[in-house]
This record gives sequence, C-alpha cells and structure tokens, in this order.
Amino acid sequence: MPRRAAITLTSSHGYGPSWLHLVREPVENLRQLGRRAVLALLGIAVGCMAVVALLNIGHNAEREAMNVFKGMGSDLLVANVQIPGSGRSEALPNVATLDTAALRQAIPDITAAAPLILTSSDARLKGHALSTTILGSNADLPGVLDLQLAQGRFLSQFDTHSTHAVLGANVAAAWENAGIHAQPGDRIQIGGYLFQVIGILQPAGQNPLLPAPPDDAILLPLEGMRRIIPSPQITSVLARNPNGATLVQTSPALQQWVEGRMPGYEVNVQIPRLLLEGMAKQSRLFSWLLAGLGSIALLVGGIGVMNVMVMNVAERRREIGVRMALGARPRDIARLFLLEAVVLAATGALAGAAVGLIMAWAFVHYSGWSAFSFSAAALPLGIGSAIATGLFFGLSPAMAAARLTPVQALRDA
Amino acid sequence: MQRVHDTDLIRLENITHAYATGASSQAVLYDVSFSVPTGQSCAIVGASGSGKSTLLNLIGLLDEPTSGRVLLAGEDMTNADAESRAIARNRIIGFVFQSFNLLPRLDALDNVALPLLYRGIPQPQARQAALTQLERVGLSNRSHHRPADMSGGQRQRVAIARALVGEPSLLLADEPTGNLDSQTAQDIIGLLLSLNRERGTTLVVVTHDTGIADRMARCIQVRDGRIEEAGHA
Repeated sequence: MPRRAAITLTSSHGYGPSWLHLVREPVENLRQLGRRAVLALLGIAVGCMAVVALLNIGHNAEREAMNVFKGMGSDLLVANVQIPGSGRSEALPNVATLDTAALRQAIPDITAAAPLILTSSDARLKGHALSTTILGSNADLPGVLDLQLAQGRFLSQFDTHSTHAVLGANVAAAWENAGIHAQPGDRIQIGGYLFQVIGILQPAGQNPLLPAPPDDAILLPLEGMRRIIPSPQITSVLARNPNGATLVQTSPALQQWVEGRMPGYEVNVQIPRLLLEGMAKQSRLFSWLLAGLGSIALLVGGIGVMNVMVMNVAERRREIGVRMALGARPRDIARLFLLEAVVLAATGALAGAAVGLIMAWAFVHYSGWSAFSFSAAALPLGIGSAIATGLFFGLSPAMAAARLTPVQALRDA
Repeated sequence: MQRVHDTDLIRLENITHAYATGASSQAVLYDVSFSVPTGQSCAIVGASGSGKSTLLNLIGLLDEPTSGRVLLAGEDMTNADAESRAIARNRIIGFVFQSFNLLPRLDALDNVALPLLYRGIPQPQARQAALTQLERVGLSNRSHHRPADMSGGQRQRVAIARALVGEPSLLLADEPTGNLDSQTAQDIIGLLLSLNRERGTTLVVVTHDTGIADRMARCIQVRDGRIEEAGHA
C-alpha cells in the first residue's frame, strides 16, 4: 500500500497554531499561574506607572514654570543699572532721565525703550491708604511690556510734567476690595502731591526679570518722580527688539549705550527669551531624568518577569516535552513563552499606565497648579517600553525552552 | 530521498545510540536494524535499562541516533531538523506515555484537541474532532473534566484519544499500563489492539509485561543494547 502522505510529511505549509489560539493560550496559562503572575505583573506595572506619572508630572511642571514666565516678552531686553561696589555711591551723579529717542536712533532694531525709576510709598484714595510701588516710566512702557488699558488712557509724552498717574490692575483691585471704586478722574495722594488718575491697566502677569510687576504699581511719568523722592535714579531700561534674529546682538549695543549715558554705573543686559529657553531646556532635562528613574523601575520589573518566566519554563519542562511530542515546533514553544511574557508585561503596562495617569493628575491637582495637561508622549513611551522590557526579558527563557530536545524535556527531572 | 520498502512504516538501519556522560559516552544501543510493516502490532520488551525506551524515542523522532538511519513512512528522518521532525510527529505518530502526560491546566477536550491546533486546524473543528475521539474511548461525558479529576484509566484513555485525534498511522506506547491496575491495563491494551485491528494503525508498545507482549503480533526483545526477535506467533 503506497503512502501518499509521505510526500507532505514534513511540509510546513499551513502548519502551526492559529494566531487566535496563540494569544488565547498565554492568557489562560497566566490566569492559572495566579499570584506569581500578579507579582511579576506588579513589577512591570510599578515601572510603567513611574514612567507615565513622572513624564506627566515633568510635563506639567514645565508648563507651570512656563506659565509663570509667559509674561516675559520674547523680544524684550532688560538692562539693569547698578552702583558698582560700595563707598563710591556719593561720587556718582544720579541719572533721572534718558533720551530714548536717541537710543532708538543709535540702535535702529530697538522699536521702543522705557527707563524705570522705582520707589515705594503710601498712596491715599478717598481716605484709604495703600502701601504700593511707584513706577516712573515714559510713554513707551505699554509698547515695551504689551500693557493694555482697562479704562482711560496711558501716560503720553505730553504728560511728562503733569501730575497724572495710571493704576496697575492689582492696585485698583486692592482699593476695590476696601470698598473704594477707583476710576479715571479720581485724585490720589502720593507723598505731598495729588495725582489725577487717567487710566487703569489690565492685568499683565508676572515677569520676574522686571524690578516690579506693573500690576502692583502706580505708574507716573519719569520726570514726575522728583515729586516723590528727592534724588530719583534710573534702575533699569527696558527695550524691545521685535527682530528675533538680531535680539542677541542688540544686547551689547544696548549695554554700551546705557553705560555711555550713565558713566560709572554697572550695566548688565538680560534677555528673557534666552532665560526662557534655558529654563525650558532644563525642565525638559528634568523630565527625562524622571523618565530615566521610571526606566530603572521598569528594568527591575523586567527582571521580575524574567524570574517568573525562568521558573515557568523550568516547572513546565514536561509540558514542553509533551507539546513537542504532539507536534509543537521549537518556534511554537518559543512563541508560547514569549507571548506569555508579553501578555504579562502588557497587562502590567496598562494597569501601570492607568495608575500613573491618576497619580500624575492627583499630584498636579493637589499642587494647586493650573489644569492638568496630558503629556502625549508619556503613554506610548511608558506602555511601549514596558512591553519591550517584557519582550526583552522573556526572550531568553523562551529561547531556552525552544532549544530543549523532546527527550530532554520529557525526561524525569 | 530514497524510498526502499514502501510497506515498512518504520525502518531502522544500523542504529547506534550513546548518551554522553561527562567526558565519556555510554552506549545504549549497538547496531540495531529492524523494520515494522504497516498495520503490524509489535511489542518491545526488555529489562529496565536495556534500551527499549531509547529505541521507542528514536522511532518516535523524540531523539536522534548517534549513527544509523531512521526511516518513517519511507522518508529518511535521520538528518531532518527539529521543525520537520515536529511536523512529522504531529502527522504520523500518536504517543501514549506511561505517566499519561496530559496538560493539567487543560480539560480532557482541550488536551485531546491540542495536536490538531498545532496542525493549524481552527479550535471549533479541533474540539469537534476531539469529542469524537473521546466518544470512541468512552469518555464523552468527561470532556470538561481536568486530568486531576479523573482516574488513571480515564486519564490514559484521554491520552489515547489525544494520540488518535490526528489520525496517525503509527501509535507508540511506552509502558501504557505501567501506572494502572491489571483490570484497567487489560482494557487499555484491548482498546489499543482494537484500533490496530479495525483501523490498521501500526502499534508499537514498549512493555516489561509478558502478558501484554503476548497479545501483540510480534515481539522484539532488547537485551544490553541489542535486539533479538522473540519468536511467538
């Protein structure tokens, strides 16, 4: 009797378990592995949770830091004027005015410039006194700092010698809280003078590079500062260069110009944009550092997976032999154990990612930061690296299982 | 690929097998040659350690001989790789082990269906075929029991159903009744022989029980790594 079957005896066409079966079997095996699987899963989950949570927290921290500094214009230059060393202050004459038109002429890239004179004083409106910052500047200040008016108008070049004042948003709000409504036309008393309110600013936000936030100040014309302090002194010059390409080059020119007008003083120019970029870079670095920390947790979880898989292969050696006897090829055995490792890691990764997101949200929420912002990279990165870890650490036990010969596997231990 | 004796399902030529033990190696089979024609029932007997299980492992493609040729269904499997050997085991051989070797996690039905799943048959069809085989061994009412919930005889019958599900041309049984009481053992051997008779499945049984050996058509005696035909009808 000739046997036709012999022709196709070892043909592998269509051989091997279906993908459905390939996936279903590891899930079932792990379910029955019980607590040990849960422990390995926990390791991966903690790792993935750390990656997802830390990346999200880092991302939100970065956003929060950027929010604080958002008020700093991206095309601003801040020249700070300081008295060099000590003991020489008497020798230096006070400088209370600067010709900003000349500055714009000297450095054409600068479109607006505003010197600042700063002091603090009590201001009295309708009998209610408020301790506040008095900021002397010129008509260019709104252009330099993007200040918007809520009411009235800003100081103009024709106001230089008048007793006019503009209120910062917080100053007006402070009086409002005390039950006094401030509006243009009101008269406030600062020092021995009465000033007429001509405008109230909208909130402008924080800018740590400014000597004082305009929100918290009453703004007077630069020349009028002499009415409040006997010897006013310019402490900073703000300038705006909307041409981003020459922003950095303008900095030494500005420094030179200010030094020329204020001989003997120490001038240094800061560029908020560079500072902002540096900070963004730093917080990104911080984020990656945190992610690296998470990766270490993930690595430890991966070793847990390897441990379970090595034990798994050792305990099921006989099963491997039986499967081989029934027709499992080495690759079927490798797939079985590799998929178990991957299913283990994937389950852990999903659980960890969910917990990580909740943790990051809770952290952001209880830190009192602004609304939680979801880091898009965190989920694929966290889950992906967790599954890759499972795959990597599951590979060696799976290959070891596949390399067994049927007799080795079936032999009694 | 040379096909010499198409009527011989199993053909061993000058098989020598040795196990490496440390630096030296210990030979268990010396220059063994024999063939089993299709449809024959054959017992391999011998004392423990005589090499009879090794002989069965070589026939079953579970092990490779140190030298010599193994031909199954006319195909030379001596130099086949692990993958081809696995496929050949699945397509032409059904194994029945002394310790049943059912997978404890699977119920009777899925244990029996397993060889078909490796063959690429979808699970519903595989389970249907498995149920048919469980009916044949009289265990259709136990299909959803785990091995742990069954008696030794029942487990061995599940194992036989698993060996049969792929419609193999060769049944290899290694001490199939070694863990069973004598009455159950007689039933199991009766079942194996009826399969041999009714379906022409070639049957090779390793046993040290002469009562079982006597019920086979042929008996090969292994003694100290060599074989001799024990002449009985």
